[in-house]
Amino acid sequence: MATGAVAALRNMKVAGNSKSLEEARARVFDFFKLACRSLPSVMDIYNLDDVVTRSQLRSAIASQIRKNSHVTNTKVIDMLLFKGMEELGNIVEHHKQRHHIIGQYVLGKDGILQDLSPKDEGSSDFLKNFYSGNYF
Amino acid sequence: MGLGLLASRLIRPQKTAARTLLLRSIVTKPELQSPEPATAPQPDPTPDLPPRTPLAGARVHFPNPEDAIEVFVDGYPVKIPKGMTVLQACEVAGVDIPRFCYHSRLSIAGNCRMCLVEVEKSPKPVASCAMPALPGMKIKTDTPVAKKAREGVMEFLLMNHPLDCPICDQGGECDLQDQSMAFGSDRGRFTEVKRSVVDKNLGPLVKTVMTRCIQCTRCVRFATEVAGVQDLGMLGRGSGEEIGTYVEKLMTSELSGNVIDICPVGALTSKPFAFKARNWELKGTETIDVTDAVGSNIRIDSRGPEVMRITPRLNEDINEEWISDKTRFCYDGLKRQRLNDPMIRSSDGRFKIVSWHDVLAVVAEIALQVKPEEIVGIAGKLSDAESMMALKDFINKMGSNNVWCEGNGPSPNADLRSGYIMNSGISGLENADVFLLVGTEVIQLTFLICLGWNAWIIAVMSFTFCYFFAYELVCCFYDVLNLFFAFMFCTPFCTFSLPLCLIFCLMKCQPRVEAAMVNARIRKTVRGSNAKVAYIGPPADFNYDCEHLGTGPETLTEIAEGRHPFCSTISNAKNPAIIVGAGLFERSDKDAVFSAVETIAKNGNVVRPDWNGFNVLLLNAAQAAALDLGLVPESSQSIESAKFVYLMGADDVDLEKLPNDAFVVYQGHHGDRGVYRANVILPASAFSEKEGTYENTEGCTQQTLPAVPTVGDARDDWKIIRALSEVAGVRLPYDTVGAVRSRIKTVAPNLLSVDEREPATFWASLKPEVTQKMSSAPFDPAIKNFYMTDSITRASKIMAQCSALLLKK
Repeated sequence: MATGAVAALRNMKVAGNSKSLEEARARVFDFFKLACRSLPSVMDIYNLDDVVTRSQLRSAIASQIRKNSHVTNTKVIDMLLFKGMEELGNIVEHHKQRHHIIGQYVLGKDGILQDLSPKDEGSSDFLKNFYSGNYF
Repeated sequence: MGLGLLASRLIRPQKTAARTLLLRSIVTKPELQSPEPATAPQPDPTPDLPPRTPLAGARVHFPNPEDAIEVFVDGYPVKIPKGMTVLQACEVAGVDIPRFCYHSRLSIAGNCRMCLVEVEKSPKPVASCAMPALPGMKIKTDTPVAKKAREGVMEFLLMNHPLDCPICDQGGECDLQDQSMAFGSDRGRFTEVKRSVVDKNLGPLVKTVMTRCIQCTRCVRFATEVAGVQDLGMLGRGSGEEIGTYVEKLMTSELSGNVIDICPVGALTSKPFAFKARNWELKGTETIDVTDAVGSNIRIDSRGPEVMRITPRLNEDINEEWISDKTRFCYDGLKRQRLNDPMIRSSDGRFKIVSWHDVLAVVAEIALQVKPEEIVGIAGKLSDAESMMALKDFINKMGSNNVWCEGNGPSPNADLRSGYIMNSGISGLENADVFLLVGTEVIQLTFLICLGWNAWIIAVMSFTFCYFFAYELVCCFYDVLNLFFAFMFCTPFCTFSLPLCLIFCLMKCQPRVEAAMVNARIRKTVRGSNAKVAYIGPPADFNYDCEHLGTGPETLTEIAEGRHPFCSTISNAKNPAIIVGAGLFERSDKDAVFSAVETIAKNGNVVRPDWNGFNVLLLNAAQAAALDLGLVPESSQSIESAKFVYLMGADDVDLEKLPNDAFVVYQGHHGDRGVYRANVILPASAFSEKEGTYENTEGCTQQTLPAVPTVGDARDDWKIIRALSEVAGVRLPYDTVGAVRSRIKTVAPNLLSVDEREPATFWASLKPEVTQKMSSAPFDPAIKNFYMTDSITRASKIMAQCSALLLKK
């Protein structure tokens, strides 16, 4: 399975510029499907079965994409797609190590601290910054 | 062939001198072969000389305007006061003269000859550092004669200097390296074997590679004149000349690290810094020292997240350009015993790492459970003004008023600023002619006397002029062991001149502890103007002549009541200065002692409109700011009834009387004494990692700047308290350091005028009468171990070595 995903990614061409927002949108969905299809091999390569499920990783990818949902410039979307494709290629070809994947996609940005409980919703920016670090 | 290449060939000068020699002869630069004195052919000074700025901000002070004389430096006329040397005149004119032995704060030796300049109508080049400037002198610093003289001197200096710059710690900041590049010849003529010199052991701080020494004698002069220890001296003559201790002895001065800075070569370097870093890799941060109340100006040199060394910064009013060994070498304490994560003590007595979120929730919950008057906050010795302000605001908002700074005693006087700062100012002490030191040990010196007597010995010894194989050897032996060695060593060869002066040797040996820089200032005054010094307190050892009046309050009473012979000395003095040690703050009869001192001040006319000689010498960096901010406990018994104690870096508080069920929060940067009793640890940043305001003992506000990032998950002190206040539901109204400062402005506006000394306005005459009785207990030494006074220095390995080696009892 792993070889198939790698081969599929190898055969992906860098697409030309998207002509319209619809085309860019379609490409994003294609990219998401490709990423989801490579998830089984990724879990296999990095031994992720005991830390995360496939659906969790899927939603991690989705949230990464949703983070840029406000972008409407097709050129920017193409650039982001290119970066995503590169990242996916690196992951699938085992250019990363297990802790990279766990740190970036399993725990997430503020996963390690997990200081923000619902209780803190009313707290000031100062306190939120204080929990995340000394320099703000 | 490109056009550019052709052009450059045309531009290049044609070789005029035909090569007559096949072998290259070793000569100096050809233009220096026949230097002609620049007297005759020089035309009159050109009028269109650009105006020059004096070097390094050199200021000329004319004590007597009619004594001004005019000299010409490279044709540029400068006005200088009479008595200045040629070198100083050149500095005023903006010309930097190369030098090795000359140092503006030391006496003039004139032995390196590097500062040779040409003076019109003088047959030879003159050593500018030793030659007084005369009216109308025409000094030429840039002529072939001067250049050749420097080149020759440089060649002689390099003759015996090893070629080990690649492994030398001075490399990159070496005067010899720089000046040989600028003024030296490009080749040497020395083909014989270089001499070598045995290295001397000067103790755990100064590393010696004596082969590199160029005999400038700066270190000898520094030790004798500034540090006041006759440990170093010059032995031998000619190529056998070397710097050393006369007998095998460590350098026992609390200022010994400064010889590292003044050594122009790599002969004396820092032992802890040896082979650790190169100076061009280091990032310098100009900041303030907090290990004592002087607030010496320092530069922290760091590489990445690590403090590599601490060097002094020039501040004429505070530390001139010296710092004490504690300041210089405490930095390795910043890397050891650090608290890097919030921790809670679990039921088995061990600390468990938790998140900031959880720890603040726990602390806030417990703080809200206890009664308001059972809450106590204590600021530590190293606290900055911002965090103390936040602590006071937080404790007050919790409903308690029991907040103070350690070292200020149970009932500090925070109302009259003149009662707790050094009113004369540190540099102002130079104007005093009589000093009375009460219960303070600015002073004291370690001497390695191991004799088992309990009284103090008066040893009679003198400046002994020894003629040792026709070498002049000026020695001054200070203690009995040395005396013994001196006899063993000198008797066969020398003639003695018998006692000229009395020197006291003291059995209770301690280093000059409380403020080495203030002590250096007093010593400078004693040397410069023969000021008289007397002290009341435990027997101590001074590096200048000093009279011991007594050990306790009864002597003070005698002087206050005019029964003591020293009274007349005070009243006859022009500018008498009384220095009271802050160790007295801890005494229960503090008010009575201070009122006795104030009586002395009143009778002796110590406080006048033009001179305020009443000084308190504080011990810790935080004390002055704490009193300015009003960190005064409501009751002196608050510890006994406390249920919630917030220690903000306070390690030396006596927690013996604290109830066992009290909850102790320790916020600080080192796992020191305070942590033993703590239930919760909140890691904070050290002075090298934060921006903080400190006020020194003379009332001068200064700020530290962060040199390195914080360790682990630590936070700045005031931020922790601000966050805790929000979790506890009593949110403090500031989010930035600027906002904290504007809060400080409403309490103590002087803490915002940085680098300015704010003198006290009112004098203590407004004080109410004191009814307290003085106890007869003698004054105790305030500091047991000079090298280890706070959490940083107690964590330092170098300071531990120093106290083991230099404080031998």
